[in-house]
Amino acid sequence: MLSEFGQIFVFMIIAVILIAFIYVVVRFIAPHKPSRQKSDVYECGEETEGETWIRFNIRFYVIALIFIIFDVEIIFLFPWAVVFREIGFIAYAEMAIFLLILIVGLIYAIAKGDVQWDKPEPVIPKLERQLFSAKPDINKKDNQY
Amino acid sequence: MQNLILYSLSNFIPETILVVTIIVCIIADLIIRKKSFAVTFVAIVGLVLSFVFVVKQWGLSMSIFSGMLAIDNYAVFFKLLFIISTLFILLFVETSKEMKTASHKNEHVYLILSLTTGAYLMASSVNLIMMYISLEMVSLTSYILAGYLKKDKRSTEAAIKYIIYGAASSGIMLYGMTLIYGYTATMNINEIFLYLSKNPITDTPVLLASVIMISAGFGYKISSVPFHFWTPDVYEGAPIPITAFLAVTSSAAGFSVLVRFFLVGFANTEIITAVKWQEVIIVFSIASMIIGNFVAVWQTSLKRLLAYSSIAQSGYILLGLAVVNSAGLFAVILYLSAYLFMNLGAFYVTILIHNKLGTDNMDEMDGLGYRSPFIGVTMAVFMFSLAGIPATVGFIGKFYIFSALINTNSPNLTWLAVVGLLNSVVSLFFYVKVLKHMFLNKPEKPLPELDYGYANILITLLLAVPTILFGLYFTPLLRLAENSIKIFGLN
Repeated sequence: MLSEFGQIFVFMIIAVILIAFIYVVVRFIAPHKPSRQKSDVYECGEETEGETWIRFNIRFYVIALIFIIFDVEIIFLFPWAVVFREIGFIAYAEMAIFLLILIVGLIYAIAKGDVQWDKPEPVIPKLERQLFSAKPDINKKDNQY
Repeated sequence: MQNLILYSLSNFIPETILVVTIIVCIIADLIIRKKSFAVTFVAIVGLVLSFVFVVKQWGLSMSIFSGMLAIDNYAVFFKLLFIISTLFILLFVETSKEMKTASHKNEHVYLILSLTTGAYLMASSVNLIMMYISLEMVSLTSYILAGYLKKDKRSTEAAIKYIIYGAASSGIMLYGMTLIYGYTATMNINEIFLYLSKNPITDTPVLLASVIMISAGFGYKISSVPFHFWTPDVYEGAPIPITAFLAVTSSAAGFSVLVRFFLVGFANTEIITAVKWQEVIIVFSIASMIIGNFVAVWQTSLKRLLAYSSIAQSGYILLGLAVVNSAGLFAVILYLSAYLFMNLGAFYVTILIHNKLGTDNMDEMDGLGYRSPFIGVTMAVFMFSLAGIPATVGFIGKFYIFSALINTNSPNLTWLAVVGLLNSVVSLFFYVKVLKHMFLNKPEKPLPELDYGYANILITLLLAVPTILFGLYFTPLLRLAENSIKIFGLN
């Protein structure tokens, strides 16, 4: 008889075989007509522009970090909502404390200016020397203007 | 279930106080918006309150949160140690010039407190999951603290190196934990012990591999060889108060969880003969002592020297664990409390020197003992204590470790004590080298005297006096250590 881990092993083998099987079947059945648009990089339906290996702004990561805090919060809210009626007020107080702590985090991020998209100061190009030292003399004949 | 949680919460007050203090500190920092002692003051009040409630837990023995955390004298001892070191570190930061250059104002206060909270949890966790999570809590905050001087290149470098090593070793540790779970089908170390002692141990290679892998995670925290590579660079790059914090709190937290893991989960003659983890610990400790001491001899930077010295010190402490009896554990506890005072003191003198000279290079310290006799003498106290010279607390620690090694018979470990003693001789060389620079080397041209404020002198004395006092009158430390280890029930 299989042990519990043995069952997982069987499950893994079946998973690998199944995926291999699907690939092989698709190879035989599917029509193969590649076009430029089909083999492009998928960008949620938008037309692809430029390379995929670009640098993108580090500010996105800050937003993502703040998002994750509240994303995880929702996960905790679901089981809480299920048992809320049984436990009653204590559950309410606990969740209020939890949310307050998270809100302090959000306020912290805002107060420290982490969500401000401050643009860098535009650098105005400046020349080292002046182009014309004096006004050009229009009366001069050999002036080529 | 609900009552269980409430019951657990009522025994979770010290940690809760720290968490509330962290939040109050954040809010205070947001309101004040500039560098201020008020935030540090709030933190100190929180720590003292937490201290009161930790002391109330002395003598209890229970497990809370359905077997996740244990409350016992052993945990209480470590919590007290963490509180004392955190209080000192907060004062260190206030008097350090280096930390004032940081672009952040008060962030260090609540980062330091979160590290202490993580260390609390580490000291009391009896479940592999809880051990991992609390270890990560300590690690994550220490990465941020190591890179606290954002504008300083070496501080940032230290943080990045620390993260990479930390991620790798905690990954290895997690894999070791899954192996143990696969073998014993439980995460609680008490139940792991029950399983291993009741059932015949068959797959010893699996258990040995998992024990070594888990040691990778703990060994990285206590900076023992071969998981020590981050130590010199991080210690050198991080601001000195933070380095002191990592060297004392973070490493003591590592020891607390390492000792509990081995002495609760695997302390049984049959298990030791089957799994051979004792040999693993002996190898780690010999390697730490030899590499730490011999590499420290060549260092010219005082911070790097202290880094290698703490690698070597963790080797000595591991010797106490390798004995696997109550005398060895007793010595470990004693050594850690000695280590608190002498290592914090050595780092604080380094901070004071750095404040005036702006460097920690030992060649610049020529004649410092005459420029400021106070610095010279206190540094001598801490260095002699770290080397284990009698009449200092470091001697008491080393004495009990070596006597535990000599007194044990199964197996005979006297040779290990000899190795440790020879290493102590080597260590004496580089500790005295610091003093040689301060007193015997003459500077090229006469330099002005350095004078320090009353606050600096007071903090140094608060560390130097216990170093000598506990070296002469150590009964209180013995009592404390004796009572802290009773829960293990070792012979």
